[in-house]
Amino acid sequence: MSSIIEVKQLQKSFGSLDVLKQITFEVKPGEVVAVIGPSGSGKSTMLRSLVHLEEITGGSIFIHGKTLAENGKYAGSAAIRDITATMGMVFQHFNLFPHLTVRGNLELAPRTLKRESSQVIAARSTELLTKVGLADKADVYPSMLSGGQKQRVAIARALMLNPDILLFDEPTSALDPELTGEVLRVIRQLAEENMTMIIVTHEMNFARDVADRVFFMDNGEIAESGTPEQIFGNPQLERTRTFLNQE
Amino acid sequence: MSIDYIIQIAGPMLEGARTTVLLFLIVIVLSIPLGMLVTLVAKSRIKPLAWLAHTYIYVMRGTPLLLQLLFFCFGLPQIPVIGEYLVMDRFAAAALGFILNYGAYFAEIFRGGLLSIDKGQHEAAKVLGLSKWQTLRKVILAQMFRVALPAVANESITLVKDTALLYAVAVPELLNYAKTAVNRDFTVTPFVVAGIIYLLMTLVLTLFFKLLEKRFKFE
Ligand SMILES: Nc1ncnc2c1ncn2[C@@H]1O[C@H](COP(=O)(O)OP(=O)(O)OP(=O)(O)O)[C@@H](O)[C@H]1O
Ligand SMILES: [Mg+2]
Repeated sequence: MSSIIEVKQLQKSFGSLDVLKQITFEVKPGEVVAVIGPSGSGKSTMLRSLVHLEEITGGSIFIHGKTLAENGKYAGSAAIRDITATMGMVFQHFNLFPHLTVRGNLELAPRTLKRESSQVIAARSTELLTKVGLADKADVYPSMLSGGQKQRVAIARALMLNPDILLFDEPTSALDPELTGEVLRVIRQLAEENMTMIIVTHEMNFARDVADRVFFMDNGEIAESGTPEQIFGNPQLERTRTFLNQE
Repeated sequence: MSIDYIIQIAGPMLEGARTTVLLFLIVIVLSIPLGMLVTLVAKSRIKPLAWLAHTYIYVMRGTPLLLQLLFFCFGLPQIPVIGEYLVMDRFAAAALGFILNYGAYFAEIFRGGLLSIDKGQHEAAKVLGLSKWQTLRKVILAQMFRVALPAVANESITLVKDTALLYAVAVPELLNYAKTAVNRDFTVTPFVVAGIIYLLMTLVLTLFFKLLEKRFKFE
């Protein structure tokens, strides 16, 4: 099957600092990729480049075979919006809209983009809130929720636009340990439903469990990649072993 | 301080208070959108425009309001050549001065409100497919107004009191009536009555903003 995400020789520098150096990978539809690696290795930057939250400085990104960027040059803004509309992103700090209720958070984008009737939108937000176990919180403001609940709302919000790809940047790192489980359960369920996902995470057990492939990033490169068995059971590189032992 | 006397002067004083309230409403209704506009222009990528907005804010905040009022009421007509076309009704000229002055203060308040909004809000909106303009309208401004609300309340109460500056440009209003009555009747009572009327106005405003803050608490 053809790749849903194709990244070739992706480069990103902040001034003279080369944060991503020649990153190349592909993701197949339905695949779950976990990205692990030390702090500052470029995991967030890589993920953010895919949805144009960072401007890359070199290389190419194709989503669904469509060109988001080629040889460091981005497509026009209409094409960018078109392509990134098929991708959802979940942030470490949730980034919920504090001035809207939970339902308001879910419905803001679809209502603003006006591609569907408001009944369809309302029905889907109810359905997704039920799915993440928060149907009873629809009319509550984010400030009244726990971290785990906020992150589940953020996931439901990302799902409102029916994305084909979901990107997670450390979705549980801002949570108290006892609240990570409820968020990981939702992500696991999405994996079972064959959602294509790239998940940056420090939860090694979760990565081992849920991922089809694991990328170990170090110093702006994908230093090693493979199945969870390969990466966690039999890492090839010394620095992968060192990292895994620290975790 | 006889009750009869208070009732006798209350009529003309409330008449004066009408001018005060009218000025307040005109200034609030026009200076808040002006401040909003100036904030956005000050952030604009078109440098000369942004620079102009910053200069405007700097000048209006850096000079006395009284000077600005005198300038608009008595200064403008003195400008060579164009001055004769700039003669305005004194109340209108003063209102213009107030609007420009308060517009600058509101611009500064809103600028602070914008700075307080996390960049994650822009990022979340962008990933959800909202355009810059949609993000501004639906995500940023709503939050900015909430953050700015206490400062806006403060500024509004200051405005009620600043309307007394109309006295200095000889537009008859509350304070003017009080002063006239004091001089005429040799009593301090009219000043006390004026004070009470100002207090009533600021009380109403305070309650109004308390209500707004509660309404927009997002809890
Ligand atoms: N906007 C920026 N300007 C300058 N440098 C940046 C910027 N964003 C990230 N960097 C740098 O790029 C490098 C990679 O950052 P990135 O956030 O991608 O790492 P990460 O792997 O996600 O780390 P962590 O595990 O701490 O989240 C770091 O050295 C960081 O300081
Ligand atoms: Mg990161």
